[in-house]
Amino acid sequence: MQAATMKLEEGARPTREQLLTMFRTTATEVVEKDFHHVLESTVISELAIDSLGMLEIIGSLERQLRIQIPDESLTGLNTIRDLLDVVEKRPAQ
Amino acid sequence: MSQARRAAHVAPTLVDAVRALGDDRERGFVFVRSNGTERLVSFHDIATEAERRAGHLAARGLRKGDRVAMVLPEGEEFVLSFLGALFAGVVPVPIYPQLTFKNIEAYHDTVAHIARASGASLLLTTAATRPFVEPALARVDTLRSITTVDELTGNVGHVDAQVAPTDLAFLQFTSGSTSRPKGVMVTHGNLAANAEAFMLHGLDRDPAVDKGVSWLPLFHDMGLIGFVVGPLFTNIPCVFLPTASFVRAPRLWLEKIHEHRGTITYAPNFAYALVAKRLKDRDIEGLDLSCLRVAGCGAEPIQARALRDFAARLAPAGFDARAFLPSYGMAEATLAITFAPLRDGLKTDVNDAGHELVDCGRAFPGHELAIVDDRGCRLAERQVGQIVTRGPSITGGYFEEPELTAQTYRTLPGEGPEPWLHTGDLGYLAGGRLFICGRVKDIVIVRGRNYYPSDIEWAVSEHLGRTAGLRRGSVVAFGVDVDGEEQLVVCCEGTSTEAPAIREAAATCVAAQFGLTVLEVVVAPLASLPRTSSGKPQRRKTREMFADGTLRRVGPYATRFLHTTGKERD
Repeated sequence: MQAATMKLEEGARPTREQLLTMFRTTATEVVEKDFHHVLESTVISELAIDSLGMLEIIGSLERQLRIQIPDESLTGLNTIRDLLDVVEKRPAQ
Repeated sequence: MSQARRAAHVAPTLVDAVRALGDDRERGFVFVRSNGTERLVSFHDIATEAERRAGHLAARGLRKGDRVAMVLPEGEEFVLSFLGALFAGVVPVPIYPQLTFKNIEAYHDTVAHIARASGASLLLTTAATRPFVEPALARVDTLRSITTVDELTGNVGHVDAQVAPTDLAFLQFTSGSTSRPKGVMVTHGNLAANAEAFMLHGLDRDPAVDKGVSWLPLFHDMGLIGFVVGPLFTNIPCVFLPTASFVRAPRLWLEKIHEHRGTITYAPNFAYALVAKRLKDRDIEGLDLSCLRVAGCGAEPIQARALRDFAARLAPAGFDARAFLPSYGMAEATLAITFAPLRDGLKTDVNDAGHELVDCGRAFPGHELAIVDDRGCRLAERQVGQIVTRGPSITGGYFEEPELTAQTYRTLPGEGPEPWLHTGDLGYLAGGRLFICGRVKDIVIVRGRNYYPSDIEWAVSEHLGRTAGLRRGSVVAFGVDVDGEEQLVVCCEGTSTEAPAIREAAATCVAAQFGLTVLEVVVAPLASLPRTSSGKPQRRKTREMFADGTLRRVGPYATRFLHTTGKERD
């Protein structure tokens, strides 16, 4: 739905740094606010993104990375690091 | 139109209604899981499984009238357990699962409050969800045990609870924007009356043709009453998809309508706006929505623009804008209070402030609707006052909250002994149709004149949209007390670069259109104003934050805030 914000080689697994960049770019695009300063240690609830916005961002990451994150993995996430851990663990569809 | 379809009444209780569908092994509810797989649970299987789960609840010592709290994120488990409780005469208390990114303590407080306030003796959940609710429950002394649905194995015997229309069916906890969640007592009679009202009179449903498609959460009235209770009373199959799946991929909603040839769907305003915003031309390709005869809209103020954008976006997919069916309702009235007529589409009215309001239709047969002033006297057409209603769909009040019930459900002078539900919403009637203007408690009174925050918010938002370099966005307006006089505060969202222009434009707009001087125009960081779970900006919460100094403003502070939360900067 959103234009893919970062092109990855087909089948290539993104590095941790690429995932963080992808989160920053996607959040900035979806919420229309600058999130380029976000760090892995940033607490999600302090980002002032509501839960609908977070789900939209996650949906966009899923499409860009062609992965599917199960709902139960999204409960209890505290920091961006927790979110990237969940994203990294999911193999491509 | 067949005689059967024109049947004027539904079964007296939901248990009777589900039992009556028990021979149908072909049709039923389809549950789409978050991994994309689908499962059809036939009406026969729904009735059988409800009986089985009822036996388990009885075997665990639950008796008629006892409450069982339910935290069940998956649609299928929720529906079958909810009906299982009803079959046992036990009162289910749905609690929303934690699928947010807020802190867990706030969630635990809500779970503990609802479990305690309902006096639930058992909490039913899933193995995966259990760790997230369990810590909250040590503080609830009425609760005897926590059970997971996978522990309910085998058949443990039949329970023959006699369920009557006057019996409490379930407690619908609603969170008012000012108070803690309170449990609306919904009887089987209320469910039957409302199902009859919106499914038969409102939608003129046809079991041979109709199919509902919904992603609405089942722990809220619109998803639960609208797509589980109403369809079961009136023999309509439905397709359910997880709410989170829709938000992550809005196209999924339309895909399911297309695949299943859905005829009836419903959503709050924000969902129509989300689809219009996110779907691109290539997402529309291959979709055929010509089957959709009702696209209902309710649960939050309806913006004509969102519906028009949706219709324009989906027109190439055969979406007919006459399918729009704006409506008005609330948990205290079971669900639906007014529906726009079928095939009328979007009709609007422009009020004195130039604000375009959506026609939400009329009350249902057997129900009364009126607009009253502060003293409870009926107002004439086009005069704004509180919306009140009474009739068989109106619930008896809040569970173990007699004072709150008496404040909300009360008689009107000269209108007989039957109380009216005072909705707390402001509106007016024009040509017998209802238009909603906002909340009674939100009116801003400056020097004896009433101002409606929604008018001010709308005007400011439009003005910002027309101002170079700015855009339309969330605006919240409210009154604050300054030395005993009410004054207006306007909050907008924007960046620090935009802030000076926003302040200037908002103040100019309010002065020009309402003749008011704004005490302050607050520019808060984008997406930072408090919102409800459905994305509505919370006016009263914003006012509280303004009053106690916790409302964030853009500027150097916001930037510093993000930098210092990271420990690995250096």
